[in-house]
Amino acid sequence: MELMKPHRMLFCLWSVALLIAVGLTNAETLELKARPGSKVRIDGTSTVHDWTVEGNLIGGSATVGAGFPLEAAQAVTPGPVAATVNAFIPITSLKSVKDGKPYSTKMDEIMYEKLGKPTHRNIAYSLDELILKSAPEANGAPFLFEAKGKLVVAGVTNLIQLPVEVTPMGEGQVKFATKTSLKMTDYKIEPPAPTIALGLIKTGDEVQLQVEWMTGKPVGK
Amino acid sequence: MAMLGGVRLIAQEGQGSSIAPAYTGPKVKVAVIGLGVWGREILSVLGRLPQAEVAALCDSYPAFLKRGARQAPGAVNEADAAKVIADRDISALIVATPTHQHREIALAALRAGKHVYCEAPLAHCLEDARAIAVAARALPGQVFQAGLQYRADPQRHFLLPFIRSGAIGRWIMARTQYFKKESWRRASSTPEREKEINWRLDQALSLGLVGEIGMHHLDQVSWFMDRRPIAVSGQGSIRLWADGRTVADTVQAQLEFPEAVNAYFSASLASSFGGEAETYHGSDATILMRESSAWMFKEVDSPLLGWEVYARKEQFQKDTGIVLKLGGSKQASFSEAEVKAEAEKTALYYSIEAFLRNCSSVDMARKDFVEVFGGDDPGLLRNHLSEVKRVPTGGYEEGYRATVLAIKSAEAVAQSKRILLEDEWFELT
Repeated sequence: MELMKPHRMLFCLWSVALLIAVGLTNAETLELKARPGSKVRIDGTSTVHDWTVEGNLIGGSATVGAGFPLEAAQAVTPGPVAATVNAFIPITSLKSVKDGKPYSTKMDEIMYEKLGKPTHRNIAYSLDELILKSAPEANGAPFLFEAKGKLVVAGVTNLIQLPVEVTPMGEGQVKFATKTSLKMTDYKIEPPAPTIALGLIKTGDEVQLQVEWMTGKPVGK
Repeated sequence: MAMLGGVRLIAQEGQGSSIAPAYTGPKVKVAVIGLGVWGREILSVLGRLPQAEVAALCDSYPAFLKRGARQAPGAVNEADAAKVIADRDISALIVATPTHQHREIALAALRAGKHVYCEAPLAHCLEDARAIAVAARALPGQVFQAGLQYRADPQRHFLLPFIRSGAIGRWIMARTQYFKKESWRRASSTPEREKEINWRLDQALSLGLVGEIGMHHLDQVSWFMDRRPIAVSGQGSIRLWADGRTVADTVQAQLEFPEAVNAYFSASLASSFGGEAETYHGSDATILMRESSAWMFKEVDSPLLGWEVYARKEQFQKDTGIVLKLGGSKQASFSEAEVKAEAEKTALYYSIEAFLRNCSSVDMARKDFVEVFGGDDPGLLRNHLSEVKRVPTGGYEEGYRATVLAIKSAEAVAQSKRILLEDEWFELT
């Protein structure tokens, strides 16, 4: 067996180090594409009653690198994880609901208008930085991340920081989940104030956003 | 026994309020097939719904087509239903033909990918009703709505939890009635055409008063009680319109529910007094409904609900009715025009509105899904569309069961007999 010469060994080590430093290479990255089964819920308030909007459509994809948990029992190290995410929610997939039933088409139309229809068809998110905070403490529990990225609502872009739960679902599927509060005025949306039979309704500026995004390896890979 | 008082039941503002920005949402391209009296009534409702675009009208009878065209001047007029069904631009079809013609049109429309609103009863025989319901069940990505308009009426949706929660106490009985002095006979220029348009007078094609009218009442009683009747008996006779018809102009039907609770339906085309009404008797209170208004009459020994103290009340001779009317809260202040606009919204209006809304929701969901995931996997798309939240109405299942009830009730009336209602008749296999 021929031993590797010292200068060739040094070159190989240097090459490996370079690949690690760059972060993502084709060999190490995996694309997770959006799959059906996602959930979006927005809860808000008004002077008359609380309201809820729901959707079940999130598009886009994530590309994840080494250290991203794809299996429930995967050993991980807290810290930055190489990943890109571009996800979007078609605004017309969001509907007002009450007691599990569709609520008001008028409210839906007002919401679409406020979210920028027809100019801006989607709410969009792109990831800048993903940091693994902790591994699951119990079997089946999610991996906890912190994500920094850009959220675009009604054409207005804001940097936001989100707590993200990542749950490998088996068979190459991964669920991303987050909850956060947002202010409409941060996105230059004037809280709706429609007039109804009971008088003027004033909608609260702050809303609670909950998202479950289902992704998976492209079929056949 | 003296009654304590009636409370008019009032639903919350929401779907019902007319005070809002002008409609700017998507329109549904809809065709109406069958332009008899009821078809034109539907057309009139469509004309008041901004979300409707009446794209085509269809009737094999030129006079009906001409009359319909006056109500929808921009629509294509067509005598052949197949051509309307083949039109790819049309998203939704309303089938308002004679009952015995529903099957062929509804099945063809479903096969063509249309959303279908099929008038109730779905059919005049079990075989046809089952064929329509089974076809609709197999296509969850399309909207199928049976014309059970009470099932979409917000007033009745408001009353439903109220009644089911036991607010009227123990169920005693239900009585519903339809009294209207009219012959049902339509005039025509030729004997052949006259026979055709008077299909409702022919027992071979028509379920008569109990089927065409009473079905809505009987379905509602079952819906409110949340149970199915176990037997039906009936009788009918021709008291006034002895013009060769083979269906009775005056009928009574009795539905027997479990625990010895009965529902009675009386109807006549020979006398108008009393009009149309539904009465739900409970041990604590009775609810009276007339069109979309309702009142509650409490027994003197019934428990205090609390809210009725502040509710509006109306006097009915010695009885006081507590108003149970949609949008009638004392807090709300409506202008005269708004009150008038709300009053014009009939159960049919809400039913068609719900149909269009569900069509629009499904169409929008399809568009969004294809944009996100493409349209390569019909199974995924169908699953997605089947999960689209829809305004509750009478779907294929409710339509089928109500039709079975109508068919068996008509049979009981025609033969003056009692029929035990077998479970298997109501199952879709």
